[in-house]
Amino acid sequence: MNKRIAVLVFPGTNSEEETARLLRDCGGDAHLVHWSRAQQLPTFDAYVLPGGFAYEDRIRAGAVAAHDVAMDHVIAGAQKGKLVLGICNGAQILLEAGLVPGTGKIRRPTAAFTRNGPVPHFVCTHVHVKLSIDPARSPITAVLPREAVIPSWTANGEGRLAASAEHLRELEDGNHVAFVYAHEDGSVDDSASPNQSALGIAGLVNRDGNVLALMPHPERDAWTFNHPDRRRGDAILAPSGGAVFFRSFVEAVRRA
Amino acid sequence: MAEIAGVALRSDELTRIRERLGREPSAVELHAFDAQWSEHCSYKSSRHLLKRLPTSGTCVVLGPAEDSGILHLGEWNGERYGIVIAHESHNHPSQVVPFEGAATGIGGIVRDVLCMGAHVIAVADPLRFGRIEDPHSHQRYVAQGVVDGISAYGNAIGVPNIAGDLYFDERFDDNCLVNVVAMGIVKESQVIHSYAPPGADGWDIVLVGKATDPSGFGGASFSSLTLDAQDEDSNKGAVQVPDPFLKSVIMRASYGVFRFLHEQGLTVGFKDLGAGGIMGCSAEIVSAGGYGARIDLDAVNVAVEGMRPEVIAVGETQERLLWVVPPAVTPELLRIYNEEFTLPEIAYNARATKIGTVTAEKRYVLRYRGRTVMDVEIEFLTGSIRDDLPFAEIAAPQASSERPLVTGVQLDELIERVLAHPDVCSREPLYRRYDAVVRGCTVIPRGAAGAGVLAPVPGSPLGVALAVAGNPRYSHIGVRLAAEHAVYEAVRKVVATGARAIGLTDCLNFGNPRKSEHYNELVAAIEGLARASERFGTPFVSGNVSLYNESANGRAIPASPIVACVGALSDIDTVVTMTLKQAGSVLYLIGAPQGALGGSVLLDVLGRSDAHLPRIEYDTILAQHDLMYKAAQARLLRSAHAIGNGGLIVALCEMAFPTMRKGRAHVGAQIDDAWQWTHGSAGDLEAYFGESGGFVVEVAADDVETFEGLADDVSGVYEIGVTIDRPIFVVDDQAFDLHRLREIWCAPLREVYP
Repeated sequence: MNKRIAVLVFPGTNSEEETARLLRDCGGDAHLVHWSRAQQLPTFDAYVLPGGFAYEDRIRAGAVAAHDVAMDHVIAGAQKGKLVLGICNGAQILLEAGLVPGTGKIRRPTAAFTRNGPVPHFVCTHVHVKLSIDPARSPITAVLPREAVIPSWTANGEGRLAASAEHLRELEDGNHVAFVYAHEDGSVDDSASPNQSALGIAGLVNRDGNVLALMPHPERDAWTFNHPDRRRGDAILAPSGGAVFFRSFVEAVRRA
Repeated sequence: MAEIAGVALRSDELTRIRERLGREPSAVELHAFDAQWSEHCSYKSSRHLLKRLPTSGTCVVLGPAEDSGILHLGEWNGERYGIVIAHESHNHPSQVVPFEGAATGIGGIVRDVLCMGAHVIAVADPLRFGRIEDPHSHQRYVAQGVVDGISAYGNAIGVPNIAGDLYFDERFDDNCLVNVVAMGIVKESQVIHSYAPPGADGWDIVLVGKATDPSGFGGASFSSLTLDAQDEDSNKGAVQVPDPFLKSVIMRASYGVFRFLHEQGLTVGFKDLGAGGIMGCSAEIVSAGGYGARIDLDAVNVAVEGMRPEVIAVGETQERLLWVVPPAVTPELLRIYNEEFTLPEIAYNARATKIGTVTAEKRYVLRYRGRTVMDVEIEFLTGSIRDDLPFAEIAAPQASSERPLVTGVQLDELIERVLAHPDVCSREPLYRRYDAVVRGCTVIPRGAAGAGVLAPVPGSPLGVALAVAGNPRYSHIGVRLAAEHAVYEAVRKVVATGARAIGLTDCLNFGNPRKSEHYNELVAAIEGLARASERFGTPFVSGNVSLYNESANGRAIPASPIVACVGALSDIDTVVTMTLKQAGSVLYLIGAPQGALGGSVLLDVLGRSDAHLPRIEYDTILAQHDLMYKAAQARLLRSAHAIGNGGLIVALCEMAFPTMRKGRAHVGAQIDDAWQWTHGSAGDLEAYFGESGGFVVEVAADDVETFEGLADDVSGVYEIGVTIDRPIFVVDDQAFDLHRLREIWCAPLREVYP
């Protein structure tokens, strides 16, 4: 039977349509599931939490949504090994829910994506992220090339990973740092990061590899027309660029 | 001016109301007429002038009659798609409370597009601020607060900001301009109109959104008065409170309602609540269909108890819309908003709720606690009133002497000063606070061309371009020609992306029209807009008038006709960005330099003036635009950029700067000395820094023959240089380091928007 992917919509979510469209264009069977229909969630095989401002980002981005009843189902699914992907606000929710990096208790976050540095403002700019784990470390990244450089947009006010120095060491030692900010040619330095995120972290994965949180939006540079200055020779309406990441996720859902 | 506290109606208007009613108006009626007859709602001193603007054409689906206009974009899979566009100002509120004022500007314009049955796909923000050099000045506070407000609202609702412009002038010190444009996409067969359709007698009037509160009471008349610093606190109460979180949910719920209505094949009415609140919206939606209405103010969901009926009736609480639907549809409408999208859980007492009934009798009746508090002929309330104001022709400027400019200032210094000019320097520190790419449809975000481009129909190659323009330095010199330049510049920016310009909107920002000099400027601007619109074949489909833009001491803003242009692309594969693509290309200038430097950034940095704006030679320009379109269709343009503030050299720098980023191949430019291609028809500085318009295009060496073949009969096309693989810009035998120039260009606004 076809594996079904739920794209969760909380009040304030705003990236659900393009996220579901890209999943479908990459071969996934994606469905929007609104907060008032959260009871449908257990029937799905995988969950994607898209970008936006769930519950107005009250307290801290993702903090309220992490306690929504919909997240009860996502947490239960994740604990059973279902694949869960959070993009931007979705990534913030996964950290607040304690699913990523998953080294602490549920709903007791050990790290958070918080106010950008050096100035605490919303920043929207084109970036690249580089895969910084062995692709096989997570089923979600399994078919990506080693050190894959993926074009994305960052668009958030709270995208800077903050954690204690001790915890950051734990994240590095446990191979939780899935993606870091990089330049187009794959080189990495401080100027590649748009927000002074700790260790240049753009994405984190949990211990089991089935839950991945990524701050930038590969789905916004995911069709050839999204990058007119960077034509890759693909048909203008075809998925390309950031779509490689979503293809990998859809492939992981198919194999799971 | 005001005869009754809080009411801006003039004594002659009060007399008309008393005579027509045959009695003293009630408090509710007084406030209702005050809102409905304000300039903001009635266009009483501008409506007859606006009739001069061309509003029809083959691309016009809906002209300026409802909340938004609609332009035909193209066909895909047997469906005709329309672009819904609206343009408004939120100048007064933004001057008083910048964050909320600008945010509610975005909120309001988005509702204008939404209520046409469209999905909202983009916003744009033409901004005009005063001098911001002093970090502690109110102007700096306004410039920062406005951008934060637009950013907070637009980002939250998930609508990308893809176009805008920004000017600074001391005459905006006391009165900033915050214009907002919103764009939507709709199947032309599924447009929902802002009027009660035929057969609507007895239908339900359903209010949707935020609980009505006392905020925004008197907003319509506030925006039709000049700003008085002493009234600042009471003015603040007239500004509404934005709630983008609630709006985001209302938008998505409304899309759900649209789906239901199309499945059922139902025709209904839908309208945004703006000026005049519940009263203004409900009166207009029913009277436009030839009906009256009975509204029960006790049925309105309110945020606090004990509000006076006039506050409930005309207060301008944000995030509200109004439906006119058959009673059989109402339960499903309420279910979608209140249960599926849980509005009452999203914000305190937010909901969809029935508040009244459409009546065949053409009266507008408001009931409150068992009493009738308003009962008037609806056509008297909503019908057009008109102010005839005296008008005098503005003298045309004298002919230019056109002597080449001699400055004694070195070229390198000029380039640096022009690039650092507040009207030229990089806008990135500002627009990086706006989400440019949410919805995943962005083809050209801000900074990659003069116009933004979207692919608005998923799966289809259709593209839409959007650009704004309106140069306040030009209106200092001649308002009529400045208005023509506003149209020309907006069209030019769209054409540079390879799109066809298909239509326009305008916002006319002027001073007090009861002062003849400002009224004369308004008349001249409309004449200029009409002429340019006619010659470019781009009709106006919507617009807005913002008058009384002056401070209490009578200082008015520069006349500011601001224009937005919509462009259509049948295939986004032909889109052209401004970034130089490759070394070894040939660079062409399309558009002959002129001697007139009036209004230019160059003269501003030199502290000089000239009373002559560049001429607009329509026949030549139309041929050049045709060349641009054909060259883009034939994929001959590697890059293209519309020349604007700072002229040719700024345009070339802006084309090269994006390639200076780390990790990218640098592409520079080398251009020949101007005399080699102007042959003395214009001076060197006029050629380098003149703002007579035109384009710079990059053509691959292999395509030169084909391009020159297309350009054969077009005048004003010059081969001016080549692209090179070094990060330098070479002109007049001098090489400039593009990294250094880019830093000079990037720095100024970073301080304001860190």
